[in-house]
Amino acid sequence: MTYILWIGIILFTFFIEERISIFNVAPNFTALLVYYAGIRKGALEGLFLGSVIGAVEDSLSGAFLGSNLLSKGIVGYFSSLMSGSFFRWTPLLGAIGIGVLTLVDNSIVFATRSFFDRMPTGIKAAALKIVIQSLINAPLGLFLRPKDTQKTG
Amino acid sequence: MPKKRLLLFLFIILSLGLMTYQSKKEYFVPLRFLNNTLTNLHRIVNSVRDTATSPFKRMFIREEENTRLKTELRRLLEEQQKYQETLLENRRLNELLSLKERKHGYVTTARVVSRGADQWSNTFVLDKGYSDGVTKDMTAITSKGLVGKIIQVSTSSSSLLLLTDLNFSAAVRLQESRREGILAGTGLRRCQLKYIPPDEEVKQGVAVITSGLDSLFPQGLPVGYVSKVEKKGTGLFQNIEVTPFQDNAEVEEVAIITR
Repeated sequence: MTYILWIGIILFTFFIEERISIFNVAPNFTALLVYYAGIRKGALEGLFLGSVIGAVEDSLSGAFLGSNLLSKGIVGYFSSLMSGSFFRWTPLLGAIGIGVLTLVDNSIVFATRSFFDRMPTGIKAAALKIVIQSLINAPLGLFLRPKDTQKTG
Repeated sequence: MPKKRLLLFLFIILSLGLMTYQSKKEYFVPLRFLNNTLTNLHRIVNSVRDTATSPFKRMFIREEENTRLKTELRRLLEEQQKYQETLLENRRLNELLSLKERKHGYVTTARVVSRGADQWSNTFVLDKGYSDGVTKDMTAITSKGLVGKIIQVSTSSSSLLLLTDLNFSAAVRLQESRREGILAGTGLRRCQLKYIPPDEEVKQGVAVITSGLDSLFPQGLPVGYVSKVEKKGTGLFQNIEVTPFQDNAEVEEVAIITR
């Protein structure tokens, strides 16, 4: 049942990403999903789910397999650091963490696609997209908390 | 090295290896079928939304449309008279020059279902595919002008690369001076007109049309207008910015044509 729920959530996330745009930039909610898996389930589960979601994203985008797989896997792995293994989670840290991880995710995708294939968009457009997607995701980091964290306030 | 870090290291090496292999050989796209699932999902949601909102839309639009059509009809009748003479003259000249009236090969009209799944490209997913006669490299236009070209086709849907995408380019010419150039996307909302030498006088507002020299787009399609001209330094070419006539954010339906 949990797996079906996750599949549903993943598909719904891709569906939403394709339907909305802010300043002509589609949001990167899949990074949020991977971040959530990482802080809730741990580094290896985050890495695994991140790579699965990344593989799906690569397939949907029609580009080669690997760029999103790598970036999402890394996001999943490092988001587990926010759950207490390295940092003590606070809402502000959560917001900064998700912002930075979204930035890392997009930067890896842009860099690997530029290196292994062709540049997917101009540097200026890429920078704009990366910053906007990070800013969209950052506030949501306030609410995505690790399992064993006490609610504050 | 702890087990977790070793796994992460192996994962990174494997991913880089996979990408290196694909850059030399062919791409792996294992879950391509999910594209159809998402397209169908978009189609269902659009259909439900249209069913729910169309009666209200029709009600509001009808009155406005009626007034507009009456004014339009009056204006068109006046213009029809005015252009009649020009049309007849044009026909005579065409016959004299034995020129065939060029026809744009209309294929079908497609609706924009969603944005492309690739966040880095400026693409749209259209609801028409092979079964409707759409093939790769066909041109998509609206009444305002060129929108882009078809880059990928499946049975019932296709991907449209917009002219603002970095990987889009088309042979164009300035309508007034007939100077040829290459229009390229920038990834942003505007395009760039390349290879116009600095001695060419280009004014803002001049229309840009397709030249047809790339054997891809039909000749004479309106593309956009010059919105910024920069003659910086001693460069070989001018830096010209073109704003497309058709804003991507307004595209709902496109006509697919072939050359």
